[in-house]
Amino acid sequence: MAGRAETLIAGAVRLVVSAVFVYAGIGKALDPAGFATAVSHYRLVPEVIAAVVAAYLPWLEVVCGLGLWWRRTRLGAANLLLLLSLLFAAVIASALVRHLDIACGCFGSTSAGRSLLGFDLARSLVLALAAAYLLRVELSSPDWGAPAP
Amino acid sequence: MPPSSSPEAGRGGRSVFFCALRQSGALLVLALVAALLAAALRPARAVEESAPPEVTWAQVGRWTGRVLFVDARDEAAYRRRHIPGALSMDESHWETELPEFIQAWHPGARVVVYCDSEACDASDAVARRLRRELGIEEVYVLKGGWASWLAAQKP
Repeated sequence: MAGRAETLIAGAVRLVVSAVFVYAGIGKALDPAGFATAVSHYRLVPEVIAAVVAAYLPWLEVVCGLGLWWRRTRLGAANLLLLLSLLFAAVIASALVRHLDIACGCFGSTSAGRSLLGFDLARSLVLALAAAYLLRVELSSPDWGAPAP
Repeated sequence: MPPSSSPEAGRGGRSVFFCALRQSGALLVLALVAALLAAALRPARAVEESAPPEVTWAQVGRWTGRVLFVDARDEAAYRRRHIPGALSMDESHWETELPEFIQAWHPGARVVVYCDSEACDASDAVARRLRRELGIEEVYVLKGGWASWLAAQKP
């Protein structure tokens, strides 16, 4: 019973994490110039590097978000999504510490208002926790030598 | 690479670590391929968007000719006080405020966009949109923003 409940919970968490990253990635992939601008506003990397990040990162989010659904990539996907979430949280935290009044750029460039960076930081940390949970679930599976329930 | 029920799968942390590494590596490469394909298929723009140039208040003071100021802060800040003659162009009200800008601007006029200070990005975003959507090349961002103008007003 407990095993079935955890399977359902893990499935729900996987669905949410996958949906968030795929949606965020597609939004940014559709407007790489806008995302590059958002990255440059954090004033952490030169504009050239911001452009490279903007061209690559969205696709990494999409691929990892989808990779959560295939047994052969699930472990790597959860691992990378955890690292990405922690990276995003660190970058947003650095903007907060430096009192930057900027848009997160987390879901692509938007002119329809901007959320508070504090909210974006909290969201990144929640996603990191969710990815860590998925990683733990994966490592607990019999596929990796854990005893079958 | 794939997980299996063979004895090798149960070897312990080391094999799991390397498997995670291989899977992560494969995903990183797959994302790179997707990014390169997307870049190759994206239509080439005639002019690549670059950062709008910054100008200081002192430089603006030495300009001759008409200068149109654009206030990119939120409406409340604009109503409290703004550079005399400045138009409000908050990104969230872009569609309603754009016609007023178009009416006020004429070819040859330089546009200077400002927000609160050097730590905000609203002026950069508005300046980029003006350049991109209206094709106006002479759009600048006021370095230091509203804070720099306030400082310049002090005796």
